[in-house]
Amino acid sequence: MLFGRRTKNPIQLPVKAVDKWVYTTCGYCSTGCSLDVGLDDKGAAITTRGVADADVNRGKLCLKGIYEFEVFRSLNRGRVPLIRKTRSDPFTETTWDETLNKTASEIQRIQGLYGRDSFAIVSTGQIYTEEFYTLGKLVRAVIGTNNYDGNTTLCMASAVSGYKRSFGSDGPPGCYDDFDQTNCLLAIGSNLPEQHPIIYYRLKEAYDRRHFPIIVVDPRVTLFAQMADIHLPVKPGTDLVLLNALAHVILTEGLADQNYIQAHTSGFEDFKKLVEAYNPEMAEKICGIPAKMIRKVARIYAEAGAAMTIWTMGINQSTHGSDGVVAINNLNLITGNIGKPGGTSLSITGQCNAMGTREFSSCSGLPGYRTLEKEEDRQFMADYWGVEASFFPQKRGMAETDIFPAIERGEIKGLWLIATNPMTSMPDTARIRKSFEQLEFLVVQDAYSDVETNEYAHVFFPASLWGEKEGVFTNTERRVNLVRKVMDPPGEAKPDLWIFTEMAKRFERGKEMTFSTTATEVFEEIKTLSKGRLCDYSEMSHDKIEKQRGIQWPCNTEHPKGNRRLYETGVFQHADGRAKLIPLPFVDNNECPDKEYPFWLNSGRLVEQWHTRTKTGKIGNLNKFSPTPFMEMNPRAAAKLGIAAMDYVRVHSRRDSAVVLVQLTERVAPDAVFIPMHYFNCINRLALGLLDPYSRQPAYKQSAVRIECLEDQEAAARENVAMRNY
Amino acid sequence: MVVAGMTVKYDFGVTMNNINSQHGTPIALDQVYPALANIPLEINGKETEADNPDRYKQHGFHFNADNCIACHACESACSEKNDLPPHLAFRTVGTIEGGYYPDVTRINISMACNHCEDPVCLKGCPTRAYTKYLEYGAVLQDPDICFGCGYCTWVCPYNAPQLDPVKGEVSKCNMCVDRLEVGLQPACVSACLGNALDFGVMEETPKGQEEIKLTLPSFPDPSISRPNIRFQQKRELPESFGRMDAGEMTYQRGEGNDNHFKIAEKKTKKLEGWGFDKLRSREDPLVLFTLVSQFTVGAFLLLFLLPSFTGMAVALSPEAHPFAFGGLLVCLVLVQAFALLSSTLHLGKPQYFYRAFNNLRHSWVSREIAAMGAFFTLLGAYTLVTLFPILITWLPEALSQNIPDWLGWGTCLTGLLGIYCMYRCYRIPARPYWDHWHSGGVFFASGLILGSGLLGLVFGGAGLFANVGLGPLLNLLAWPLEIGLILQGISLYGHRIDLDRRGEEAAISRILMDGVHGKIHRLRLMVWGILMLASLAFTLIPLSAALALAAWSLALVLALFNEIIGRALFYVLVVPTTVPRSFFWGNERFENDARKSGLAALPQVGVVEEEHSG
Repeated sequence: MLFGRRTKNPIQLPVKAVDKWVYTTCGYCSTGCSLDVGLDDKGAAITTRGVADADVNRGKLCLKGIYEFEVFRSLNRGRVPLIRKTRSDPFTETTWDETLNKTASEIQRIQGLYGRDSFAIVSTGQIYTEEFYTLGKLVRAVIGTNNYDGNTTLCMASAVSGYKRSFGSDGPPGCYDDFDQTNCLLAIGSNLPEQHPIIYYRLKEAYDRRHFPIIVVDPRVTLFAQMADIHLPVKPGTDLVLLNALAHVILTEGLADQNYIQAHTSGFEDFKKLVEAYNPEMAEKICGIPAKMIRKVARIYAEAGAAMTIWTMGINQSTHGSDGVVAINNLNLITGNIGKPGGTSLSITGQCNAMGTREFSSCSGLPGYRTLEKEEDRQFMADYWGVEASFFPQKRGMAETDIFPAIERGEIKGLWLIATNPMTSMPDTARIRKSFEQLEFLVVQDAYSDVETNEYAHVFFPASLWGEKEGVFTNTERRVNLVRKVMDPPGEAKPDLWIFTEMAKRFERGKEMTFSTTATEVFEEIKTLSKGRLCDYSEMSHDKIEKQRGIQWPCNTEHPKGNRRLYETGVFQHADGRAKLIPLPFVDNNECPDKEYPFWLNSGRLVEQWHTRTKTGKIGNLNKFSPTPFMEMNPRAAAKLGIAAMDYVRVHSRRDSAVVLVQLTERVAPDAVFIPMHYFNCINRLALGLLDPYSRQPAYKQSAVRIECLEDQEAAARENVAMRNY
Repeated sequence: MVVAGMTVKYDFGVTMNNINSQHGTPIALDQVYPALANIPLEINGKETEADNPDRYKQHGFHFNADNCIACHACESACSEKNDLPPHLAFRTVGTIEGGYYPDVTRINISMACNHCEDPVCLKGCPTRAYTKYLEYGAVLQDPDICFGCGYCTWVCPYNAPQLDPVKGEVSKCNMCVDRLEVGLQPACVSACLGNALDFGVMEETPKGQEEIKLTLPSFPDPSISRPNIRFQQKRELPESFGRMDAGEMTYQRGEGNDNHFKIAEKKTKKLEGWGFDKLRSREDPLVLFTLVSQFTVGAFLLLFLLPSFTGMAVALSPEAHPFAFGGLLVCLVLVQAFALLSSTLHLGKPQYFYRAFNNLRHSWVSREIAAMGAFFTLLGAYTLVTLFPILITWLPEALSQNIPDWLGWGTCLTGLLGIYCMYRCYRIPARPYWDHWHSGGVFFASGLILGSGLLGLVFGGAGLFANVGLGPLLNLLAWPLEIGLILQGISLYGHRIDLDRRGEEAAISRILMDGVHGKIHRLRLMVWGILMLASLAFTLIPLSAALALAAWSLALVLALFNEIIGRALFYVLVVPTTVPRSFFWGNERFENDARKSGLAALPQVGVVEEEHSG
C-alpha cells in the first residue's frame, strides 16, 4: 500500500468458525465467570468468550478462561478404568463393572474388618453441587463413614470456621458489588490480580471511578500491594496482632459503631478487655508495622462509613487462620460493616465450587448448612433420605489433614480420592507418601490418568471434566451459576454423578434408596432441602440461572431473583440472633527462622496455573509462563550466599529438600523466599503445614528453610526436570 | 476471545485536532496517499469497508505502565485469536523491577507491533511480505510471501516479528484489522483487565488516561522507526531498574529527574572467559556466507587487477600456471556456490529463494542478493571463457578478445557492490553493535586478507613446483595482506571507541566482548599482531622458496582462524535493542537452559526443542 504498492494485498487472518455457543461457568477459580464455549460444525471446542451481560465478568476472562476450550483436547486424560493388585504392578485396562465392584467390595471388606470409619473419602471443590450432594448422600446414608472431607480443608476451612464462629453459619455475607459501594478496602493475604484477576478487574473498575483507599496487608510486595494506597508489609504469621491492634485503636479512640455493637453482637466486654493489651506500640514490635501507621489505617477504616475486608490464603493458611477470620469479622462488627452495601467480610474463595461443597456435600455436616451435631438436622435428613437417623454419626469426623495421620496410625485402611491430588497439594510430601504406602486400598477418581497420586492407586476411575456434563457451581459471592454440557467425556470416562449413583447400587443400603440420576432431578432435591435455609435455592432452576447469568442465594419467594448480601437486618444464625465478638489471644507457634534454617518460606498461586497443574500444565499457552517451579529470593540475600539469577539451588527444610530455579526480586524480604504452590515435588516437600486448631487447615505459608548453592548446575537442571516426571 | 454482544465497542468519531503525530508525520494518511483511499480491504476473501470516519488515520496502542498487572490476558487473547502455538507470541509482557523491599516497583510492559510510521521491517524485508495499509496505518505481514530469512526480526527494535522455526516463516501482530472493521477493539485491548492497554487514533488521549508519552524506561529510542505507541507512566520511579530475564543490563535514571532511563551494565563481577560454547549461533551459515563471499571477491579482485596494475602478469598469469589459475577459478566458483547454497538453506523456506529480489527498491538484503547473484554469474562466465576460450572464439575477434576483460571487470564491480550491500545490511539502528562503519571495514579487510592469502598459497605452490623464485610474488601479495590487516585494525579500534561512546546496548556488547569472550577476543588481537608483523616480514626478509611458502601457509591458517573467530564474535556479541522479557517466556537464557536440560521436549513448555538450522 504505502511504499509503492498500487493494489492492496488480500489479508488472511485465522478465523474461528463457531457453529454453536454453549453457556458455562468457568471451571477454575471461584470468581464464577460466565463463559461461552464455541464449537465448530464438527462439535470440537475451538474458542471461548466471556459473556458480556454476565454481572460477574462483564465479558472479560482471565487467560485460563480464554484458553479453557483447550482442556477438552488435553493430554493424558483418563479414558478407561484401570485396575491393579498392588502398586508395583502395572495398571490393566478394564471395565467400569469390574472397578466399581472391586471398589465396593473393598470398601465393605475394610469396613467389615476395621470398622465403618476405617475407609475414608476425600473429595474436592471442582465438581458440581449436584454431584457433591449425591456423593454426600452416598457417604452419609449408604457407605456410612464419618471420615469424609473435601480438599477445601486446604483452602477455605478457616473461612468457614471463622464465619461459623462469628455469625453462626458459613456463607460470605458480601458481593462484588460492594467494591462499587465501599469507601475503604482492606485486603489481607490476598493477591487479587494473580489469584482472581476478574475480581481484581471489578475492583479496579470501581477504584478508577471512585478513588477510595485500598490497603493491602502482605509480607510480599505483590502487584496488588504495589498499586495499593497503603501497603503494610507485615511479618509472616502476625496478622492477628495487627487486627487486634486495629480494633484496639478503634475502641480506644471511640470510633466504633456502638449502636451496632449493642443491637447485634454479643461478647463485647470480653473482646474489649482482650484488645486493650494490643496497643499499636506492642503490635509494632511483633508485626513490624509502625504504630503510627496502625493508628492511621484504623482511623481510615473506622471513619470510612462503609468499609470492607477481603482475604484469601494469607489468612486462611495459617496456624491461627480461623482466628484471623474471626478477627476480621470482629473488626467489621465493631465498625458496623456487615450486611450493608460496601461493608462486609468477604472471603475470596478458591476453587470453582468450594462453596458448593460447603453448602451441599455433607462433608462437614449435612446438606444445606445442617450439622451432624443437631438432632433435628439428623432426623430431618434421615426422613428425607428414608434412612434411620441413628446411622448418622453425632459429630463431624476427621478433616482431610487428620485423615492422613490416621492412615499413618493404621486407623484408616482405605481411601477414595475424588478430583484431588494430595501428592502435590498436601504439605510434607514425604509423610504423605508414607501414608499412601500404608493403605490397603486406594481408589483415585480423576479426569487425568497422570494425576501424581495415581502412583499409589489400586483402582482408577476416569471421570469427566468440567463441561462434559451439566450442573451448577456457587461462586465467592454466593452466586449459583450453570455449566451446560459442552461435549461428551472422552473414551469411557463418566460424569462423577454417574459414578456415585453406580457405586450406590453396589451397596445393600444403596439398593433400598433412590438416587436421582440426572443433574436437574438432583437439583430439585437440593431446592427442596434448601427451602428456608440460609442457602436457599428454592426459587432457582437451571434455565432461570442461565437466563439470569447466575443467581445469588438466598433465592426464595421473598427474593425471587436472589439477594446480594446476607445479614442485612443484623439478625445472625447463632441461637440468640446476634453475632459473636470473640477475644483472640495471639500465640506464636510457627516454625520461625533460626540460625540453621534462616529463611521464611512462603507459597502462593500464579495467574497462569491452576492448583496442581493437571489441567493448566498441559495447555502450552498457559504453562509457558511458568513451565517449571522457581523461587523468589531477595538479591541481597542471594549475593551473600553467592547465588546468581537463574541458578538452581537446593532448598532444605526440617522435612526434606527440593531443587528449584532462583528468581531474584526485591518483592520478597531479605529473610524470606517464595515458591509457587503448583508444582509436584517442590514446595510441599518443604512445607510444614501445622494445623489450625479450629479449621484443621494447614499453615502452608510459614515454614523455615535453608538454601544451598549447587556447584553442578547442569545436574541440578536435570534433577529439576526429573522431579516433575511422574 | 470474542466478546459476546460486542459491548466493548471502540469509540469512533473523535474529532481530530492533531494534524501531525509527535514524530512530525501526518496522521491522516489518506491526505498523503489520496490515490490509495477508498479501495476496499480484502480480508479472508471478503471485501470490507467500515463506516469509521477515522479509518484512514494512523492508529496505535496506548499503554498505561502504572496499571499493568502482568495477568497475561492480552497475550493470551492475542495468541488465542491468532491460533498461535505456545512457542510464538505476537504480544509479550516483560518486566523490569527497581527499588528495595518493601519499597519496590515493578513495571510490566505489554508490547506487540507498534505499526511504525517508518516501518523498518517493511523496508528491510527482501520479499515485500510487509505492507503498510492506509487503513488504520496498520503494518501487516503476509507469512505466505515471507521466505523466513528473519531479517525483519533483526531490524525491528521491539521484537515484534516472530520467526517460527517450525514453519520457517515470520508472522506478527495484525492490529486485529478484522475486528477494527466491525467496530471492535483489538483482542488484546478488549481482554485487558487492569485498564492498562488501550487503542485509538494517534495523539488522541484515550478516555480515562492523561498522558501520551513517547517513551518509557526500557523502551528503545523511538527515532529508530517512529513507533505508533503512546505511554502513560506517572508513578514515582526508583533510580534504577533491572530485568527479570536475568539479562546483563540495568536501566539507570539519566541526568536530572526527567524519568529518562539509560541502559547500563549490571554491577557484578565479570569473569573473563573463552566462551567457546557461546560462539555458535543460529547465524553460523552467515559466518560462512559472508566470509566466503568476501574471500571470493577479494581473491578475484586481486587475481584480475594485480597483473594489470603492477606488471606482475607473469607470476599470476594463466600462461605461467595454467593449472593453478584454472583450478583457482573453479575453486572460487565452487566455494561461492556452496556459500550461496548454504545461505539459501538458511532460509525458513528455501524453495522461495527467488522472492529475494522483490524489494530492490528498499531492501539492502534484496540488493545484496542481487549483486552477489550477479557476481557469481559473471564469475562463472569469466571462468568458463577463460578455461574454454573455444566458447567465444567463433565470435568476431573484436568481441572475443574483449569478452573476458568485460566479464572480469563486471565481476569485480558486482563483487565490490555485493560486499558494500552486504555491509549496508548490517547498518541496523536496532543492532547498535553492527551499526557502524567498522562492519564495512572488516568485510573488505576479510576479502583482502583471505584473498591475498589464498593467491599466495596457490601461486606460491605453483611457483615452487615450477621452481621459480617466490620472492617477488609473496612480496607483492604481502601488500594487500598488510592493507587488509591495517584496515581491520583501524576498524576494530574505531569500533571500540564507538562502543564506548554509544553506551547503552553497545556498552553491553563491549562487556560481553571483554567478559564472557574476553580471552578469545584477546587471543584474536594477538594473532592480528603476529600477522601484521609477518606480513611486514614478507615484504622485508627474503626467504628460500620452500620456507617462504611454509611461513605463508602458517600465516594463512592463523588468518583463517582469526577471521572465523572474528566473524563468529561479530554475530554473537550483538545486543539488540529489545523490550524486556519475562522470567520464562521469551527469555533467551531460559530457552537455552530448557533445551539443554530436556525441559524443551515437552511442547507445553513453549520452547522449540531444536532450532531450525537449514
